[in-house]
Amino acid sequence: MPINYYIILSLTLFVIGIVGVLTRRNTIIVFMCIEIMLNAVNLLLVAFSKMHHINQVATNPTAGTEAQLFVFFIMVVAAAEVSVGLAIIVMLFRNTHSIDVNFLNRLKH
Amino acid sequence: MNALIISAVFGVIMMFTGIFVKQKPVTRNIAIAGVALLLLVNILEMSGIDFFKVHTAGFMLFDRFALLFNSVAFGSTLIYFILSAPDMEKVGHYYADYFALIFFILCGVVLVASFQSLLILFLGIEIISIPLYILTGSNKRNLISNEASLKYFLMGAFSTGIMLMGITLLYGATGTFDTQFMNIETEGTSALVIAGMLLLFFSMAFKVSAVPFHFWTPDVYDGCPTVFTSFMATVVKSAAFVGFIRLFYDAFGSIHDDWKLVAAIITALTLLVGNITAVFQQSVKRMLAYSSISQAGFMLLGLLALNATSKEGIILYATAYSLATIGIFAILLKMNDHSFESFNGFARQQPLLAGVNVIFLLSLAGIPLTAGFLAKFYMLKATLESGDFLWLVILAVIMAAVSVYYYFRLIQAMYFKEGDGNAIEVSPGFKLMLVIVAACLIVLGVFPNLLLNWLYF
Amino acid sequence: MVPVLLILIPLLAGIASFFTGSEKTARFWALLASLFTLLVSILGLTILKDPSYLAFETSWLGSLGSSFSVKLDGMGQILCLLTAISYPIILLATWHTPHKKANNFFGLMLLTQAGLMGVFLAMDALLFYFFWELALIPVYFLCSQWGGERRIAVTFKFFIYTFIGSLLMLVGIIYLYTQTPGNSFAIADFYNINLPTSEQSNIFWLLFIAFAIKMPVFPFHTWQPDTYEQTNYATTMVLSGIMVKMGVFGIIRWLLPVLPAASYAWGDTVSTMAIIGMIYASLIAIRQNDLKRLVAYSSIAHIGLMCVAIFAETESGMQGVMIQMFNHGINIIALWIVVEIIERQFGTRKISELGGLAKKMPVLSILLMIVALANIALPLTNSFIGEFLMFNGIFGSTITKYNVVFMVCAGITIILAAIYTLNMIRRVFYGETNEITANAVDIRENEKWILIAVVALIFIIGVYPQAILNISSETVNEILKEADITPYLIGK
Repeated sequence: MPINYYIILSLTLFVIGIVGVLTRRNTIIVFMCIEIMLNAVNLLLVAFSKMHHINQVATNPTAGTEAQLFVFFIMVVAAAEVSVGLAIIVMLFRNTHSIDVNFLNRLKH
Repeated sequence: MNALIISAVFGVIMMFTGIFVKQKPVTRNIAIAGVALLLLVNILEMSGIDFFKVHTAGFMLFDRFALLFNSVAFGSTLIYFILSAPDMEKVGHYYADYFALIFFILCGVVLVASFQSLLILFLGIEIISIPLYILTGSNKRNLISNEASLKYFLMGAFSTGIMLMGITLLYGATGTFDTQFMNIETEGTSALVIAGMLLLFFSMAFKVSAVPFHFWTPDVYDGCPTVFTSFMATVVKSAAFVGFIRLFYDAFGSIHDDWKLVAAIITALTLLVGNITAVFQQSVKRMLAYSSISQAGFMLLGLLALNATSKEGIILYATAYSLATIGIFAILLKMNDHSFESFNGFARQQPLLAGVNVIFLLSLAGIPLTAGFLAKFYMLKATLESGDFLWLVILAVIMAAVSVYYYFRLIQAMYFKEGDGNAIEVSPGFKLMLVIVAACLIVLGVFPNLLLNWLYF
Repeated sequence: MVPVLLILIPLLAGIASFFTGSEKTARFWALLASLFTLLVSILGLTILKDPSYLAFETSWLGSLGSSFSVKLDGMGQILCLLTAISYPIILLATWHTPHKKANNFFGLMLLTQAGLMGVFLAMDALLFYFFWELALIPVYFLCSQWGGERRIAVTFKFFIYTFIGSLLMLVGIIYLYTQTPGNSFAIADFYNINLPTSEQSNIFWLLFIAFAIKMPVFPFHTWQPDTYEQTNYATTMVLSGIMVKMGVFGIIRWLLPVLPAASYAWGDTVSTMAIIGMIYASLIAIRQNDLKRLVAYSSIAHIGLMCVAIFAETESGMQGVMIQMFNHGINIIALWIVVEIIERQFGTRKISELGGLAKKMPVLSILLMIVALANIALPLTNSFIGEFLMFNGIFGSTITKYNVVFMVCAGITIILAAIYTLNMIRRVFYGETNEITANAVDIRENEKWILIAVVALIFIIGVYPQAILNISSETVNEILKEADITPYLIGK
């Protein structure tokens, strides 16, 4: 399958993520949309990895592996980010009993 | 490598300190000793003594630029700890953990300053950001702090997503994450490269709060506990800039002509918006938040020019800006409220503090004989050397004159307005440290080579 | 050695002054330092004339191509002498004026002097810029802290004005620096730059605006009357007596020789601006009721004439500017001294509220009369020779087509100057006394002797101007040689 399909699929997912972040009001959903963005990236990285591997395997048997490594790092970092992010949301919920992003307008004096 | 490992180790040590040491001054002194040690081993590494000979496999490159910036960052953090660490006590109960988080951030700073692979850049940015989300929200009962934290988190995660997409597209086009070996052609650059570069540019612009990606900055800086704003606006911001410059110098230097105009427009916008909005602020803290945007505009000039002068300039700028801002924040932390009026009559009460504050403000405004002037001078020089941006340079100096307006408002309040202000008590050690910082700014303003020679020898 | 001392004495004395205790100590300390500076300046003119004493250079910011290079040439001698003479005069004349936090006041005054000396001595563009700002910052504090009610806002306006100007100048300097062969800030390298005319024009305006704001020339003058009005007298004397010369000096040393083609191309425009400013300022001065504002506007008119004479680019005109820079400084300080005496005694500066002072204050009226006549350039006074040379220069200029027009217009302002000056004297010193002036007493001893000294200077220079002209002639010829535009005209 040509690489273009993967690029289009990932970019679609990525744009869905961006639109979600910018339009949704529920913090948890916004959070999910960020995860969609990250996963779109993961998908594309794996696809590129395979592509570079096939193209360069003759000269370099390990070509393309670094992208798959990168995916693991993204997953690890995303997990760390989620733990902190959820903690922040919980903290906010305790204080306000709401997880609405509109709440964030208070700081703009 | 020295500093990277020791800062990570010290992060862990500080976490245990929180369990075993109950006296706050002891905790504080351990942290100060830790940063001093970091500074020491980093300087040793600059002189060629490396304790940990790790093969970085082309992931990191500890060149003079990276090491010198690390020294600047550690030096600023040391000063920051000495001046403001006692004020962290007011924020919450987890005193030692704040230090631990800051050590982890320093770890990220080292990564960002010395990355060679985009993977390390990504990790560095995340290692800086995640502890910062926590520090921003560390005042748990304060709604404004909560809000700032959530906002920072969402914006940070969002821009990380964009950055990752940029890295991926770049990888798709070049087949490597190594910035030294991307070999981007000057002619017929592929669409993937351009798209990837733009995404990276925008996400880094988010991190350094360049207009139009700055909208989170004032709110977050304002909501964050002041003592952490000081750190965030100085060391972290300079680190992001160093990463920005390094990335574009190494990876996209060959297609400089393609992105120069975008950078010029963003620089111009940052200078305009940062300075003009800062004029209307009523709180010193918020003014400093906008001033950090406008100073970012000047640092962007270094990115735009992308030559040897701009590398020197960014180091000098980071130093001058960090020292002066940390100093002003340290004084601000002692005040009861953050309005301009609270500084009325300050010079009569605390002549020494007012005097050093004037030096900090003059340095930020870029008046000669302070490091701030030479920093701006290097940026203007770098831009003019790269040619055809005379209009931007003129805009920049006019904006520098606008910045005088809000910096001098503080001077006016301190010296020429009558008022009780708020009576503050400070220790002689605090005063001495501030005088030392001010002296550093003046010495660097007359002999910048004391710092910049480290880049070469 | 001499130039270094001229900068270092006021600089160190100024810093030390912040730590002196009582007002009296600070005053004596400042006077002592300024007398010492004057001594060094005179020694530089007389005994230590050897060039090795008058120049000093040491490396500084080597990687940037800038060095700490100072030199006393003819123009530098004159302006440093003016700065050195003015300070004791100013300090003695305001001896009885009380200042809150006197140690800070005199410290800042001396720092300003150091900056001014540096500006007149610097032979390196970056150093010049450093001193240019160093002279400005203390003045900002002086004006903001000691003065009238609206001083803070007014000073801020002044500061922002000049700061924008100087930053634009910085851009110009850096641009020129990138055009020098080995990237250097040395003045000799700046003189060797050969840029095409269009590029020169851009840089010309960047530099000129800074100087024009300082002088001030017509559309950039709006800060000046307000600032002079609100500031305390000692600072006003420094501002108008010495500081405006920074602008004139800047044009002569850093603009004409560096950008000759642009100076030629824009000379007429600048002269026209200056002429408009002169006439405008003179007309306003005629209608002025406030003594301080009157002197301020008269200063704009005088400086405008210097500007026109500079851009005429003739030897006699330039010599006239040189001597007139010195004379204007001395004369305007004397005028301020008189205005201060009047305001201190009567609590008002309004011309309409004063009258009949000649009967009550005979000594002051005689001295003022002489100063006023010098201000309108009567023969035998110092300004006569200066203005004569300038008019001669403007008339003989080969560089502009409109020299006759300029001369006629400038001549009109001389008549206007006579009108407002004599009118002011008539209304303040003659006529009937009123209840405000009825109990006037004559001036104090220190003021009397200072004014007598100034009047003596006025006559000495009026009778023997050659003393000053000899000092400056070499510099004038050098600058005119560098400013020669023939190579550019041949190119066309």
